[in-house]
Amino acid sequence: MEMIWIARLRRLNAGIAVATGAVLLACAAFVLIDIVLRGLGLPSLGGTEEIAGYVMAVATAWGMSYALLELGHVRIDLLRARGGARVRAALDVLSMAILSATVVFIAIKAWPVVERSITMGSRANTPLETPLAWAQVPWFAGWVWFAAMACLLTALSASLVLRGRLDEAEAAIGAFAEADTLK
Amino acid sequence: MIGAVGAGLLGLLALSIPVGIVLFLLGFGVDTFFSSFPLSRGLGNMVWSSSNYATLIAIPFFVLLGEILVRSGVAGRTYAALDRWVSWLPGGLVHANIATATMFSATSGSSVATAATVATVAMPQAEKLGYDPKLFSGAIAAGGTLGIMIPPSINLIVYGFLTQSSIPQLFLAGLIPGLALALAFMAVTALICAVRPELGGQQRTFPLALMLRGLIDLAPILVLFGLIVGSIYRGWATPTEAAAVGVAGALLIAAFFRGLSLEMIRLSLLGTVKITAMIMLIVLGASFLNFTLASAGLGREINAFLEGLGLGPLGTILVVVVLYIVLGFFIETLSLMVVTIPIVVPIVLAQGYDPIWFGILMIVLVEMALITPPVGLNLYVVQGARKTGKIGEVMLGVIPFALIMLAMAFALIAFPQIALWLPGALN
Amino acid sequence: ETLAVVGSWSGLPLHKQYEAPFWSETLPAAVEGVEVELTTHDQMSLGLGDIYPLLGQGVYDVAMTVADYAVADAPELEGLDVPLIATTADEARAMVEAARPMVEDIYRDRFNSKVLAIAPYPPQVVFCNAEIAGLEDLEGLKVRASGRMTAKLLEALGAEGVNVSFSEVPGALQNGVVDCAVTGAGSGYSAGWWEVSTHLLPIPLGGWDSVVTAMNLDRWNSLSAEMQEAIQTAVTEEFEAPAWASAQTALVDDIACLTGNGDCPAGEARNMTLVEASEADATKAREILVGEVLPEWAERAGGDWAERWNASVGQVVGVTIE
Ligand code: NA
Ligand code: NA
Repeated sequence: MEMIWIARLRRLNAGIAVATGAVLLACAAFVLIDIVLRGLGLPSLGGTEEIAGYVMAVATAWGMSYALLELGHVRIDLLRARGGARVRAALDVLSMAILSATVVFIAIKAWPVVERSITMGSRANTPLETPLAWAQVPWFAGWVWFAAMACLLTALSASLVLRGRLDEAEAAIGAFAEADTLK
Repeated sequence: MIGAVGAGLLGLLALSIPVGIVLFLLGFGVDTFFSSFPLSRGLGNMVWSSSNYATLIAIPFFVLLGEILVRSGVAGRTYAALDRWVSWLPGGLVHANIATATMFSATSGSSVATAATVATVAMPQAEKLGYDPKLFSGAIAAGGTLGIMIPPSINLIVYGFLTQSSIPQLFLAGLIPGLALALAFMAVTALICAVRPELGGQQRTFPLALMLRGLIDLAPILVLFGLIVGSIYRGWATPTEAAAVGVAGALLIAAFFRGLSLEMIRLSLLGTVKITAMIMLIVLGASFLNFTLASAGLGREINAFLEGLGLGPLGTILVVVVLYIVLGFFIETLSLMVVTIPIVVPIVLAQGYDPIWFGILMIVLVEMALITPPVGLNLYVVQGARKTGKIGEVMLGVIPFALIMLAMAFALIAFPQIALWLPGALN
Repeated sequence: ETLAVVGSWSGLPLHKQYEAPFWSETLPAAVEGVEVELTTHDQMSLGLGDIYPLLGQGVYDVAMTVADYAVADAPELEGLDVPLIATTADEARAMVEAARPMVEDIYRDRFNSKVLAIAPYPPQVVFCNAEIAGLEDLEGLKVRASGRMTAKLLEALGAEGVNVSFSEVPGALQNGVVDCAVTGAGSGYSAGWWEVSTHLLPIPLGGWDSVVTAMNLDRWNSLSAEMQEAIQTAVTEEFEAPAWASAQTALVDDIACLTGNGDCPAGEARNMTLVEASEADATKAREILVGEVLPEWAERAGGDWAERWNASVGQVVGVTIE
């Protein structure tokens, strides 16, 4: 049951990660077009630096959950690796719980930033005058999503551990991925 | 305060809590125990501002560039070609790791991206050929650090920005020390393996014809280097924009070698997002920790410490070196630079040192920080790519290379011309 | 009372010459019972747009930075520092004084803060690596500038605004990524922009970049009336006044350093070509400001800000937004 859900979360977040990567690729294309236009002496698109900043913030937020599910976030397992299966499982669940709590806190603290931009109608101090909420709402949503995914994964893996299915739990929230995207 | 943060860091890391989260937790701790102000109220703003930062977009671009080269087979061919040229040395393939890292450094502005690229290509070889995992992975982690010394370099861009010094000059100044470090890495490898041949696997020689044919496989990387660095020096692109030029170049090269497919791009994007998120969680945690440390008076502590010593130029610079080594254990490189530059650079310049030269010295020191535990991004990246064994092996494997970096720092202090000759000669 | 104070850029003269001595020595000596913990926003690696919002939330007690960094949250604040309409320090000060009641309202409502001082950064002048004889020649050139109103003004002049970060400007000037760039004359001198540019147009195309010093309003209200007065008096007399007093001399010196016309106290004088802005230039700039840039600002700011501006700053500089 848990494993089915974890597999679903992995598929879902891999889809999100591909979309996030595509946004990064589009941003590279945008920068490149700007360079070429400038090289040809044509008027440039303008604002690439500003947009690159927004893309970075949003892509970072939305990439987090994929890295989490693929066990990409760096942990130091010097001590953990010396423990038995039970110690490892306990440390893994503890780590996940602390991560989840921290990310939930970050997401909560991210809201006032967005709220301020919305209520003040803040616009970037640039020629584009981008309404900051346009960039900050997707950024905030990414952190909320990351928080939700972390909590779900914590609950699923804690349930696995409580039922004694330590190997499956380790595959879900251990220190290293078995099969990696980087081949 | 520094002591408490260090102890907290070690304790939390030992619990195997993710490194980026540990840095956030330490920030909360500094806020609670060392600051009379509600710093955590600034958490949302810090996370937004430190990720809405255009210079950082170079990181995913350089990672993507590396992923494309790996998945299209170009990186593998480069590695194989360099193997033919350097594996006759004692240590064999370890030299190919360093040589490949050096070449990729010339197309990547990020040490982490460089290490990720080389580790992905090289790791499968280590098991096949029976190398000592410590030396083999240590060479990749250390070689990867050259990514920020040999131009292009995100960290030099940041240094230039914060100290208002010329980025093209900094890039020129980094070239010779970068190449010298690469040669020294190879020399120390050869030395170690001459003494203890069992660490290095077999030395292999290849027929000259095969070696010469291998040169063709180096061409794509050289073209890419020319494209990226050329676009900066010809004034087509700013150093940050050049990363996007590199992505386009890598795609063209992949297409030329018929390595381009939708699936390959999908996998490259997945890898890029994963590595970027991994790096950024640490960068964001480090930014928040910095913010709390600075608010709680770290700058004043360092400043009072350095000025209180009342040393001359040489004494000051030696203390600065020690300071960076110690802070480098705990702080991620970009944060380390951002938090210390406003404090340290004015003190160093007041002693009569050249800002370009100090930029290069600082890069050597933050390169060390990349491979010193417990917070050493390159160690994790290499461990992440190898999947077996313990991270402690990588940490042991980098020791000889870290010592070389230290020697390079002293060489730069003794002979500033190592960094300053090239920019001077070309001006 | 311990005050946590966040200064402006640690490397620039305003901080080194005025902020740092004032907050770390003068104020604690002048006002009994006040201690100061001073840092700067770059040392804290704060986002430029976060400095005042965090002040309003009480993350620290006092902050000072360029008002322009805060206009994202308060477009009406752009009216504090309109480019080109004040060419000497005295004119700039008169403009700032006239705008002060507006600025105080903006900081109270937007940033929950009390304004203590408004000091000048050096005026933001134009460095070009291209032959120019006046403002008109900027047409068709690629110019790096920061700030929305300056960018709009450049657009109206027919120049193209290019986004390049400060540190990348020398390379960009040298390679022709940009033809001109706007910054303070002193910053341009110390950052070596004279190496990569030939012509200097010493008019404040980027305004005077006023730096606002403000205190968290709750903290301010918690102080006794005597304490408030003592702090305000010290800030006005020992920080704000000297900073303005030296502004004109600093500008003259910095231009001398860049062009070699006169003595350079900062070091070796350079030989950039000094371009005098003509009467025609000034007239044209004013026309564009009145006809395009300021009406656009009035729309962005909304409310009755244009009327308030006309009745205060507009009176002083002789400009009326239609
Ligand atoms: Na590089
Ligand atoms: Na380290």
